[in-house]
Amino acid sequence: MAGKGGSTPATYSPSPTTDKKKPSLFNEDLARPDGRSFHQCRPAFFRTGAVNAASGSAYAEVGNTKVIVSVFGPRESKKAMMYSDIGRLNCNVSFTTFATPIRGQGSDHKEYSSMLHKALEGAIILETFPKTTVDVFALVLESSGSDLPVVISCASLALADAGIMMYDLVASVSVSCFNKNLVIDPVLEEENGQDGSLMITCMPSRYEITQLTVTGEWSTPKINEGMQLCLDACAKLAKIMRSCLKEAVSDSQE
Amino acid sequence: MEEEKEAVMVTPGEVLGRTSDVKAGRGAYAALHNNTVYASLTGFRHTVPPAPDSSDLRPTVEVTGHKAHGPVPQPGSVVIARVTKVMARSASADIMCVGPKSVREKFTGIIRQQDVRATEIDKVDMHLSFHPGDIVRALVLSLGDARAYFLSTAKNELGVVSAESIAGATMVPVSWTEMQCPLTGQIEQRKVAKAAS
Repeated sequence: MAGKGGSTPATYSPSPTTDKKKPSLFNEDLARPDGRSFHQCRPAFFRTGAVNAASGSAYAEVGNTKVIVSVFGPRESKKAMMYSDIGRLNCNVSFTTFATPIRGQGSDHKEYSSMLHKALEGAIILETFPKTTVDVFALVLESSGSDLPVVISCASLALADAGIMMYDLVASVSVSCFNKNLVIDPVLEEENGQDGSLMITCMPSRYEITQLTVTGEWSTPKINEGMQLCLDACAKLAKIMRSCLKEAVSDSQE
Repeated sequence: MEEEKEAVMVTPGEVLGRTSDVKAGRGAYAALHNNTVYASLTGFRHTVPPAPDSSDLRPTVEVTGHKAHGPVPQPGSVVIARVTKVMARSASADIMCVGPKSVREKFTGIIRQQDVRATEIDKVDMHLSFHPGDIVRALVLSLGDARAYFLSTAKNELGVVSAESIAGATMVPVSWTEMQCPLTGQIEQRKVAKAAS
C-alpha cells in the first residue's frame, strides 16, 4: 500500500517554527508538540450546509486541519459511462495552494480520491438511485496532519446532509507508530517522523470496517492495539457527527 | 411497540428496533445478519400502526421530516419534461419534474414512436405529435439505456400540456390532436394531454 507521499515535500526545508536541527517530538513528560497525551484526539468541529449550490455539504475542523466537502446529485451520469443498475459514486480530493506549509500547486490527489471512494462506497445504499451518479468534491483548506481521515468523516456528513441513503455514518481516525508508542490523530510533525501509520474507517453503529490502511512496519499485537484505539476514537467521533446532524435538522425545523 | 408521542431524531445508522418487532419503512432498512432495523436517513422517527386487515402485526417505522436527495425518475412515475429534439422515430426530452417535485439537474428522456399513443402505432408522425420546446407529461416506462430514460405518452392524460405557437403565444388545446393559437387562430397538430379537471 502506498504511503502518503503527496504530503511529504520532495526537498528538505527547515520548519520556521523549529530552530534545532533534530528536535525531539516528545519531551520528558511524554507530551506531544501540542500538549496532548498519546491517546487523545484533537478537538473536532463539524458543520453542515456550508455550500449553498451543493445538494449537501459539510465543513470540518480537527485541530488545524480544515476541510470542506460538497456533494452533488444524484444526477445524470455522463453519456460515456456504461449503463448501471445501481448508482455511481465519484470522489475527488484536492488541496488548495495555501493548504500546506510549503506553497504547492493545489494538485488533485488521485490516491486520496480512490481511498475516499473505497471508504464511502461500502456505506452508501447505491440501489436507491439507479443509473445516476453522486459526485463528492473534497477540498482541504488547511493541512495539519491526518487529512484523509478528516476528509472521510466530513464526506459522510455531507452525504447525510444531501439525503443520500446510507447504512451508517462513516468515521475515520488514524494512528502513528513511534518505536513502541502509539500516537492517535497525529499532527503534521508527528506524521513526518513516524515509523508507521494505521488508518481505520468504520461504521460505528454497525461496528464494521470499510477501509484499513497500514504503512510502515507493524507487529500483529501492535496492529490490534492500534485498531482498538482507532475504533474507540471512531465511536466518540461518530457521536459528535450525529449531534451535528441533529442540530442541523433542528435548525431547519424552526 | 407503543407509538412514539415525542418526535425522536435519528441519523443514519441508528438502531430503530428489531426485525421481529418492527418493519422497515421509508428511510430505514433491515440488516438481516443481526435482525436489526437501522435508519438510513437523517430525520424524525415515526411509527405507523399496521393495517387492521393485515396479518403482519408489526408496526412500520419510518424516518421523515428531512429533505431526501433530489428526485430520481423511477419506472412508473409521472414526469414533466421539455421536448428538446424531434426526430423521425423518437423525441428527446429533458425531465424537469418527477411527480410534484422539480429535479435539481436535468435527466434525459426519450419518447419513441411506439410509445406516443396506444392506437395506430405505425401511423404516428413524430413531427405532428411534438415540437421542440413543448412541455409534456409522460410516464417513465423503464430506466432505458445508458443514454436516456424511456418515456411514454400512450394514455389520455399524457402528452403535450403546454406549447407555443409560431407567433409566440401559448396555445389552447381544442382536441386530442390539435392546439390553436389564440392570437392568429392557427391550428397545429400535437399529441395533447387530457386536461385534469
